[in-house]
Amino acid sequence: MLACRQLSKRYLTERGVVAAVAGIDLDVPVGRFAAIIGRSGSGKSTLMAMIGGLSRPSAGTVAVGGTDVWGLSENALAAFRNEKIGYVFQFASLLPTLRLIDNVALPAMLGGRRASAETYTRAAGLLERMGLGGYLEAYPSEISAGEQRRAAIARALINDPALLLADEPTSDLDEQTEIEIMDELLAVNREIGTTLILVTHNLALAEQAEQIVHIANGAIV
Amino acid sequence: MRLLASLALQNLGRRRARSLLLIAAVAIGSSVVFTGATLMRSIDDSMAVGFTRLGADMMVVPEGALTNITAALLTVEPTDLVLDADALDKAHLASVGRAAPQKVVRAEHSGVGSHHDLVDLIGFDPVRDFTVQPWLKEKLNRGLRAGDVILGAGRDAPLGSQLLIFGKPHIVYGKLGRTGVGTHERGVFMSFETLAALAGSMPQQGGARPAVLAPGKVTGFLVELAPGATTLQARFAVLSAVKGAKVVTGDSSLSGIRQGLAALLQGILALMILMFASMAVMVSVLFSAIVTERRGELGLLKAIGARRSQMVGMMVAEAVIATGVGGVLGVTLGVLVMRLYERSLVYYLENIGVPFVWLDLSRTVAVAAAAIVLASAIGALGALYPAWRASGRDAYDLVRGEG
Repeated sequence: MLACRQLSKRYLTERGVVAAVAGIDLDVPVGRFAAIIGRSGSGKSTLMAMIGGLSRPSAGTVAVGGTDVWGLSENALAAFRNEKIGYVFQFASLLPTLRLIDNVALPAMLGGRRASAETYTRAAGLLERMGLGGYLEAYPSEISAGEQRRAAIARALINDPALLLADEPTSDLDEQTEIEIMDELLAVNREIGTTLILVTHNLALAEQAEQIVHIANGAIV
Repeated sequence: MRLLASLALQNLGRRRARSLLLIAAVAIGSSVVFTGATLMRSIDDSMAVGFTRLGADMMVVPEGALTNITAALLTVEPTDLVLDADALDKAHLASVGRAAPQKVVRAEHSGVGSHHDLVDLIGFDPVRDFTVQPWLKEKLNRGLRAGDVILGAGRDAPLGSQLLIFGKPHIVYGKLGRTGVGTHERGVFMSFETLAALAGSMPQQGGARPAVLAPGKVTGFLVELAPGATTLQARFAVLSAVKGAKVVTGDSSLSGIRQGLAALLQGILALMILMFASMAVMVSVLFSAIVTERRGELGLLKAIGARRSQMVGMMVAEAVIATGVGGVLGVTLGVLVMRLYERSLVYYLENIGVPFVWLDLSRTVAVAAAAIVLASAIGALGALYPAWRASGRDAYDLVRGEG
């Protein structure tokens, strides 16, 4: 499913070149739940962004399902992100001016592969699944942080992605909500078979994964 | 895409105060552009009418005829005094290029207009005329015939309809455009032949018909100077060759006014260009700030698969909606401003004898549409570069508020 080869990301700063990720090789088979752990600043979010097509690597390759992600043209990369990747950020990432149902439907509408009615039916179903069936018409500011995070998971799943990337999705949530969110992610991985990569610095969460990748100073240790 | 358009609209609503300020700024700019352009064209047209004397450089009339020089518009006024129709032809004056004779009869109870309406029946020679027919705004699809009349812009009757003058049927052949000149606005124009045929039907005033209706007599001539000739040369030539005539050339001080107005128009144009440029810069700076502020949102859109064109489209749509609304409000504001002009500048111009001719409706609508399109284009251009630049950044950098 996922194959990273010599993946590197360097930033030019006032103090010179800083290597956020330095020559990582990583393979994650289809359907697996992998956790990337490490301290803050270890490079795990940067690695995740390169895997998800959000940040261009300085060197190396990322292949998802055999597709060389960073070899794609700009439009093809946008389509790849839209169709193949579901991304859950570590912050509230819903558009505040759209209703929950619109937020969830947005990726499918951008891709334009489904009819509008079909998309909205599916969006409503995903929100139901996340326990948000009563908030379809609500705006993000009208629901809690945990509910927003669940809505973001629903949005990530709208296009049936092959790869679900969750970058510290529970970092600012209470323990109970954290458990609920993790249960949702694990259910997606186990019931639908979506490959799940979770970035976290919470070892207890990581222990639920089938594969743990420990990163320090931009390299796998 | 509907959802992105709705997102653009909602983004405008989210920052209501800023959106309103942007709309207000664009409205003021558009108002200046619309008002300036409309007034420029109107003043330009008015000057063309007022200062070119409807195509004539000077007027030759009987010595005792009353003329209204302050009107500055050379139109033959009705008078009992007449000139010989061949007076200028016989003189063979080198300084006279073209001369168009006219017969003007002011008639009451003609059947045109209300009962006591005084109507100027103006006869002209269709072959020599150069002051009436150029103003034809609409006409029948054929040449002017005997029995046809042309109506001034102040009179209304459908083309081809029948108009009874002293009980005799005439066909409305055409209508003149607005000239701002009273006689042209209210006059009924016809060929000498048609006017002569009417003579028998006119009631006699004081026991005789107007002298000008006699064959070989005219009320006066509208004269166009020969190339290179001056008004002074022509004036002396006419006065020495045609006995009992006087030459009217209008008020020479109007040249100064014309030059002053021309300079004013250039000033307005320069202001409009400056206003346009500053509006474009302001919108661009504002949208650079808006894009910077919304990097997170753009990054998110990119992360979930928005194409670059979709992101740019959303930002440009947002700008076009705001500046387009500003443009519409600006045009509305401009109409109100022009109402004020109507009471001040127009009054002033008409006081010094220059008729003010507003642009006709279709051209005014075209200028209004152009002002709105221009405002929208400024919005599109102002947002295009910052949006394009931001959309090219890595989604991850945008989400983190960098780039």
